[in-house]
Amino acid sequence: MSDAARSARRPRAFILDDGKGARAPDVEIEAQDDAYEHEALAADLPPDEVAVEQAQKRGIAARALLSWAGVFWSALGGLVTLALGLWFDALIEGLYARAPALGWVGLALLAVAALALLVLATREALAVFRQKRIAAMHAAIAAARAKDDRDAARALMQQLIGLYERRPETARARAQVLDLTREIVDGRDLIDIAERGLMHPLDERVQREIAGAAKRVSVVTAISPRAILDVLFVMAQTARLIRRISEIYGGRPGFLGFLRLVKSVGAHLAITGGMAVGDSLVQQIVGHGIAARLSARLGEGVLNGLLTARVGISAMSVCRPMPFSVEKPPGVSDVAPFLLSRGKSDA
Amino acid sequence: MPLFSDLALEASIAARSLADYVTGKGLRLGVTGLSRAGKTVFITALVHNLTRIGSLTVADSRRQMPVFRVWADGRLTRAALDAQPDDAVPRFAYEDHLAALTAGEDRHWPQSTRRISELRITLEFESKAGWRGGPSTLPIDIVDYPGEWLLDLPLLGKSYAQWSRETLEASSSAARAMLAKDWRGFLTTISAEEPADENKARKAAEIFTAYLRACREDRYSLSTLPPGRFLMPGDMEGSPALTFAPLPVAEGADLPAGSLGAMMERRYEAYRTHVVRPFFRDHFARLDRQIVLVDALAALNSGPAAVRDLETALTDILTAFRAGSSSLLSTIFRPRIDRILFAATKADHLHHTSHDRLEAILQHLTGRAIARAQGVGATVDVIALAAVRATREASVRQGRDMLDAIAGIPMAGETIGGETFDGRTEAAIFPGELPADPQSVFRGDALATPAGEAEWRFARFRPPVAMIAADGRPAPLPHIRLDRALEFLLGDKLA
Repeated sequence: MSDAARSARRPRAFILDDGKGARAPDVEIEAQDDAYEHEALAADLPPDEVAVEQAQKRGIAARALLSWAGVFWSALGGLVTLALGLWFDALIEGLYARAPALGWVGLALLAVAALALLVLATREALAVFRQKRIAAMHAAIAAARAKDDRDAARALMQQLIGLYERRPETARARAQVLDLTREIVDGRDLIDIAERGLMHPLDERVQREIAGAAKRVSVVTAISPRAILDVLFVMAQTARLIRRISEIYGGRPGFLGFLRLVKSVGAHLAITGGMAVGDSLVQQIVGHGIAARLSARLGEGVLNGLLTARVGISAMSVCRPMPFSVEKPPGVSDVAPFLLSRGKSDA
Repeated sequence: MPLFSDLALEASIAARSLADYVTGKGLRLGVTGLSRAGKTVFITALVHNLTRIGSLTVADSRRQMPVFRVWADGRLTRAALDAQPDDAVPRFAYEDHLAALTAGEDRHWPQSTRRISELRITLEFESKAGWRGGPSTLPIDIVDYPGEWLLDLPLLGKSYAQWSRETLEASSSAARAMLAKDWRGFLTTISAEEPADENKARKAAEIFTAYLRACREDRYSLSTLPPGRFLMPGDMEGSPALTFAPLPVAEGADLPAGSLGAMMERRYEAYRTHVVRPFFRDHFARLDRQIVLVDALAALNSGPAAVRDLETALTDILTAFRAGSSSLLSTIFRPRIDRILFAATKADHLHHTSHDRLEAILQHLTGRAIARAQGVGATVDVIALAAVRATREASVRQGRDMLDAIAGIPMAGETIGGETFDGRTEAAIFPGELPADPQSVFRGDALATPAGEAEWRFARFRPPVAMIAADGRPAPLPHIRLDRALEFLLGDKLA
């Protein structure tokens, strides 16, 4: 720093007059906004984030067995298992009675089936656990970002990097974030950098998936000969879409995990339904209206496509291991512009 | 003998703690800091904010403390001062301090902490924690005590000879040698072996105290100065337990009976038994949460030697804390401090863009202490706060320079950039910039840096004028991050 620049940064005082201007003629003074109010506002979780966390609690991160429904299903499951046990026992005994060799074969098959069932059950449990962990990570990152907590942010970013260890294409982004966790970076900045570097490519892939699903659904609905066919197709596509999104973000939903995920997506749709009025619903109706004027079929196709896109966006917010902060959460018009712009250009 | 007395001390602490548990004690929040760190203002502002929650409209109250969850959620219904549980401890004179702060034209910062005091405030709130939800109360005992007393706690493990040697060594350091000149001169005229003489002992103690006081002055702002009661005598002033001074004594040497050295040693022991130990047992060992207020700005004003001295003092203070995560067993028999907050006070004396740097410096100052506390499971945080915010922020343009300044009424006698204030004029002040590298404030030997050479200078401001609420009494004063401090210290108990 040069001497002149140094002296410019020396402590100085400027006497104020009653009009709150400076007494010295060459000095201008301007009041600044209260920075602490902004700081405090940033500490609050935004409503979008609250919605996502609520939705996660109702599905992915729900605690099973604590509800009457859970008790009911567990008890029923126990009974069914007992019944199956009885039946298998009778079956094997019957086989032995007919020929010992047959009995052995039956027993071996039963053992293989039991082993496979055990592996499947473990995988299911692991998958549910993994999704729960991602949901917990999401909430923790949101809290750490709100509090600007550097230590928590560092630990969480390590976890996040661990989640994508097996993805070679994220290598550079991971290395960059890992370097930053060892340097002095604000907690909030660290999280933002990780979101830009690590999440952005995944977000783009997810958006492409949603766009693809929306496109397929709208086309098939428009051309399918029977209503029941397109209902089935839409359901299958939606299920596949939700599963794909969860996989891209690092989850591996099995059957149970998928059910929980669907619950969460449903909850998120219900919670945010009201909020979306301003954004997509109006567009949806407008888009539908114009398309429907051209052809009822086409209109139905567009509407189904739009709904698929909405479901995809909800799945995206629920599965993402961190909240949207520097990245803008996509709207229907971002992921499926063709459904809306076509309507407009046709009109 | 030491082993026996240690055991007795531990046993009495455990007994006391058990008694507390049975009678149902509140959460004990320790508030400490070296003198002039802002303890009194912190407690006054804290209590004022909490007890006046009813006078604010819901929207206003959210704005007052947005980060304090129980408050921002609207779950805190009432807070009131209550009778404190310890009858032998003076009550914190909250009303007087508040009156001083909100006295209109005569407003001034309240008088500083001179002794231990206590205040109980009971919070009524609705808990939302699962099955324990519903209306709850949390009594909080705020214990205010001078941080200087904490510096005494390490004395419990030091003999007279050891303490003398350390004090003499410290006084010969470059930073202090000049201040200690008189006292060291006097030391050459007396010896430990000469017969005991009350007059000489008094004279030694006087000159030694004068040296400690000089170190504490604004210009120097040194911190590590045990024994603490010499500066904050409380009601023991003039008693023999406070009339001693270090002498050059060889460690392990036997002092002849009746000699000056033997008398000093006996008084040093008396100081430990009658001053340090009761404080440790009755107050200090019972704390659950602790906030340490640090006036880093005064040390920064003075220079690197003062900053390093502050670091030593803070590390010493921390060794006295019984930190660690608390469990049911520890709550019953050996309370531990599970959350410690280091707060750089007077954060309103610099622009918010510099707060990160101030926090970095404080982090550095307390680095050793924090590592130790975290090692045993306590949670430690560091923030820059102002319990009462006396300034606004403004940008100043002079020629081509754009400066981020703070505006307020500097106290009478403050000098910045050649301008001396009378305590009535309002001014915008650019206090200079803290360095980006926190280590650079520790380098060098400068002490009492003259104003003209300093790269920064933090002036003190007068308290802001309190707004009058609808009921005619003063509304809570503005603050900086007081809510964050409360959330850290109390948030988990108010979930």
